[in-house]
Amino acid sequence: MIAELWQYVLAGLVSGAIYALVAAGFVLIYQVTGIINFAQGEYVMIGAMTAASLAGAGMPPLEAGAIAIVAAAAAGALSYLLAIRPARDRGATGVTLIFITLGLDVALRGLGLIVWGTNPLSLNAFSTGASIAIFGGAIQPQALWVLGADLVVFGLLYVFFQRTYAGTAVRAAVASPAIASTFGIPLRAFAFWSFIAAAAIGGLGGVVIAPITSATYDMGLTFGLAGFVAAVLGGLESLPGALIGGFVLGIAEKVSGGLISTGWEQGIGFLILVFVLLVRPQGLLGRAVRRA
Amino acid sequence: MSAALAVRDITMRFGGVVALEDVSFDAPGGRVLGIMGPNGAGKTTLFNVISGVQKPTRGSVALGETGLTGRDVAWIAARGVTRTFQTPMMFWGLDVRESIACALATREFGGCFPPGPLRSLVPSGLGWPRRRAADAALRERADALLATMGIGELAARPTESLSFGEERFLELARALAIEPAMLLLDEPLSGLNPDEVEIVLQTIVRARAAGIGVLLVEHAVGELLSVADRVVVLDHGRKIAEGTAREVAADPIVIDAYIGDELG
Repeated sequence: MIAELWQYVLAGLVSGAIYALVAAGFVLIYQVTGIINFAQGEYVMIGAMTAASLAGAGMPPLEAGAIAIVAAAAAGALSYLLAIRPARDRGATGVTLIFITLGLDVALRGLGLIVWGTNPLSLNAFSTGASIAIFGGAIQPQALWVLGADLVVFGLLYVFFQRTYAGTAVRAAVASPAIASTFGIPLRAFAFWSFIAAAAIGGLGGVVIAPITSATYDMGLTFGLAGFVAAVLGGLESLPGALIGGFVLGIAEKVSGGLISTGWEQGIGFLILVFVLLVRPQGLLGRAVRRA
Repeated sequence: MSAALAVRDITMRFGGVVALEDVSFDAPGGRVLGIMGPNGAGKTTLFNVISGVQKPTRGSVALGETGLTGRDVAWIAARGVTRTFQTPMMFWGLDVRESIACALATREFGGCFPPGPLRSLVPSGLGWPRRRAADAALRERADALLATMGIGELAARPTESLSFGEERFLELARALAIEPAMLLLDEPLSGLNPDEVEIVLQTIVRARAAGIGVLLVEHAVGELLSVADRVVVLDHGRKIAEGTAREVAADPIVIDAYIGDELG
């Protein structure tokens, strides 16, 4: 029983790591623009599908992965330039922008369908070998790539926001756009880069998870919703919250799916979402009051 | 001597309400220009127009040769015109020194985020010597700025812990840190005790000596007249008088419109 539970936890860590990456994308864009970008999961799909199709055509996996991340980032840039910025320039705010991102989500998934079709694509694991035993449980070698991606992404985000002047400027502008603008720091100008960064992070998630789940044109929906739940769980404005939220959700899914029934795996996220919104709407690490 | 701010024929209408009508004046560098007027005279609207918060219905604002009309706040601030607010605004989560260092860093890196110069992406804490030196220099400059204002002991305080007066000081220090050509102060004395008023007035005098042009909106008429080189008086959105503090204080139109209003 305990051994079984441990195995579910290990499996949950792997999917949770991807949720955390998607959640980080939600948080980045929400912090800078105030928009909840529901197209976030599609960048995972673009990353996974691009990597799988390029590798399938004979490209070495690391090169394919790198190009896939660039492709996802480009999709993020275009999402902003073609959908968000024009709407904002015409005065769209709040719910309107969120609906635009829902449309963007459908459009990107449709694009995936046109380009890659409905057949799942597979990607070989980046490193082969026997599964790795951890305290009696086992994980595939590819899982280390997934966890490593989280380490790299959250590490870089930490260094950028906490240790660089540019990151400090972004934090300042997010904390108080009015003050930052009197310094000459325009919050609006960061919006474009927040979409690129969020999409690249999602794309990386897609690249590392593709060998485990395989890649399909509609995989973005699952990851987008899970990432959203993870971000809300973490408080929507906290990157450490996104990381914790991702892992909590991933583990909750696998454990409930394994111990109760597999149906729970899909449903538990929404149960958590409702529970969080009722009991602790500011999330695990969010502050109760946002911007005066 | 820094460039002068030229305000020409500024008119601002909100629907049928005229907040400002054909207001013109010059504010040279190294001088304090007081803006007086009863409540609703249009003083804050004037600041909003100059600093880019609101676009004027008509008229123009320029700093030297640079037209500022219709630009946004960040663009105008990057060219040396910055402001404070009636209610101080704080960076919650930063301490006093960091708040100022943030303003200093913006200046240091040209106020052009993003993408910003690549050196703005060099992380601290890796022992990179130039970055370490830059950090130390920023901290020293922040501390020096606070020491000049006589509030060096605030440096390590979190902004959440500041009193109202201390928030005013920090706001002023932050504005000075970006080394503005023109500094717009919106009622910097309101809510302060006499000791705090003295600190702010001395800071204004020092800024003037450093060649910064100061535009000062203030309800405390005595303090305003004591520090202003010239004064512009607004009433119902129009400029009704302009002159030295002495001239304005003796002007019957001003006494009638403003001081009479306050005292009578």
